[in-house]
Amino acid sequence: MYPADCKYTKNHEFVKPLGDGTALVGITNYAQEALGDVVFVQLPEVGAAFAAGDEFGTVESVKTVSECYLPTAGEVVEINGDLEAHPEFVNEDAYTKGWMLKIKLTGDLNPELLDAAAYEAHVASEAH
Amino acid sequence: MASAKKQTPLFDWHKANGGNIVEFGDYLMPVWYASARNEHLAVVCQAGLFDTSHMATIRVFGADAFDLLQWCFTRNLTACVGKDNAPLIDGKCVYGLFLDEHGHAIDDSLVYKIKDGEYMVEVNASMGGTVATHLAEQAKGRDVQVIDLTDQLGKIDIQGPASIKIMAKVLKNPEAVFDKLPYFSMKGHFDPASTLAGQVQLLDGTPLLLSRSGYTGEVGFELFVERIHTVKVWEAIMAAGQEFGLTPCGLAARDSLRAGAVLPLSHQDIGHWPCIHNPWPFALPFAPGGDAFTKTFLGSAALETTTDPSYTLTFVGHDLRKVDAHGARVFLKGEEIGTVLTCVTDMAIGRHEGRIYSIASPDKPAELAIKGLCCGFIKVKSQLQPGTAVEIKDGKRAIQVVIETDVRPDRTARKALKLFL
Repeated sequence: MYPADCKYTKNHEFVKPLGDGTALVGITNYAQEALGDVVFVQLPEVGAAFAAGDEFGTVESVKTVSECYLPTAGEVVEINGDLEAHPEFVNEDAYTKGWMLKIKLTGDLNPELLDAAAYEAHVASEAH
Repeated sequence: MASAKKQTPLFDWHKANGGNIVEFGDYLMPVWYASARNEHLAVVCQAGLFDTSHMATIRVFGADAFDLLQWCFTRNLTACVGKDNAPLIDGKCVYGLFLDEHGHAIDDSLVYKIKDGEYMVEVNASMGGTVATHLAEQAKGRDVQVIDLTDQLGKIDIQGPASIKIMAKVLKNPEAVFDKLPYFSMKGHFDPASTLAGQVQLLDGTPLLLSRSGYTGEVGFELFVERIHTVKVWEAIMAAGQEFGLTPCGLAARDSLRAGAVLPLSHQDIGHWPCIHNPWPFALPFAPGGDAFTKTFLGSAALETTTDPSYTLTFVGHDLRKVDAHGARVFLKGEEIGTVLTCVTDMAIGRHEGRIYSIASPDKPAELAIKGLCCGFIKVKSQLQPGTAVEIKDGKRAIQVVIETDVRPDRTARKALKLFL
């Protein structure tokens, strides 16, 4: 449920380094389950640069509108254009077809990110 | 600390079937199962099943039951049924309000006339005690008894165009049940000792009180059963409905469906302010012309003399994006004019060339892709005409919406049952 090749934030975003200095960013499976049906995803422009923790967009579900924060510093090189017509991809598979941004990493990965085991423990602690 | 919240008889079913459970008033209820969006669409296009056992039923009976309700309830029970304003007779129910002396809403309600001297009052979750106490206080000196049946009954709502075919599979003598059963009427009884209990039964003989009503704007029924039968009735209907796409629905779909049907949520859209100047004038006993009431009732004097200038109005947005209604404000040409009461998305509607269509509209343009529109109610300090553009704004976003008189068109609630068989 929490792929080992991703790193996670306590706010339930993931970053998946692709090995070429870029990474995919999105929200976790736990986040999409908690939100319910995702009906709209607002994403930044290609070229926008963010520091770790900056708000990069919003996810609107039937329940609420939530901000998304970039897990690690980077510049947006691509956005998932499919989400405009198919926001439900975030529900169907948050890590693959539900990815939101591809970023060019700025510097090292944010050292505060959690690995899959630590994130799973964080989710378990939030559920109680 | 262990949760002190209450469970309906269907709680274990909801948990076992993927219900996302939330606290709602005193109860733990499913907010959605797999998808609130699909649940909303199922009710508009096929059918949905709702556990409404958290709602409260109150029995009001005795020689003066009519007098008590005629004083406390906002509908004129001698003139409230149908276009002709006929009296509330046996087997009919009517939607209205219980107000306090300030004209503020205590709760909204359906009042059923079972027979002379015997009424059933259906109110919202956790409101059984409040409304029963209120009625008992007002009853002093009258020959009437008020009994709060909170948590003693199971209640299941089946809503949507396939509801009739589905119920036809699970009822004894469905033709007789559906015959002469207009909107806001009922048959049968949940109490096996009632003389009405034989009118509506499951195939196994379980007696039901079946009411042709609901709070989604779509055709369907509200079913009242003895609490011990709730799970059995639910499972029988779910099994019968599988071939028709019957979908269990949570509170989120109920909320978006009722907003699309321009129905208020008690304590959110009506509440601690004079219950007048809103989209629900039919809940008050206005004489033709709408200036005077046809009876005196608890709260009527306050409504007749109110100086509260606020108006509650319906709005619809231009796409599905919404604001967080809690604390959201309303602006007209930059000037703040009020607050947002409800803001949800009706997933079954879309705009095309200035008109709103439902996914179920027979004349929906082929090129229109229905994605949903945000909608709800605002409370503002002056009357605005339909078509007026206003902005609603929460802490994060501002969206443009339009004052409307209706939201989801082509609703089925009032259509003849025979059209769905």
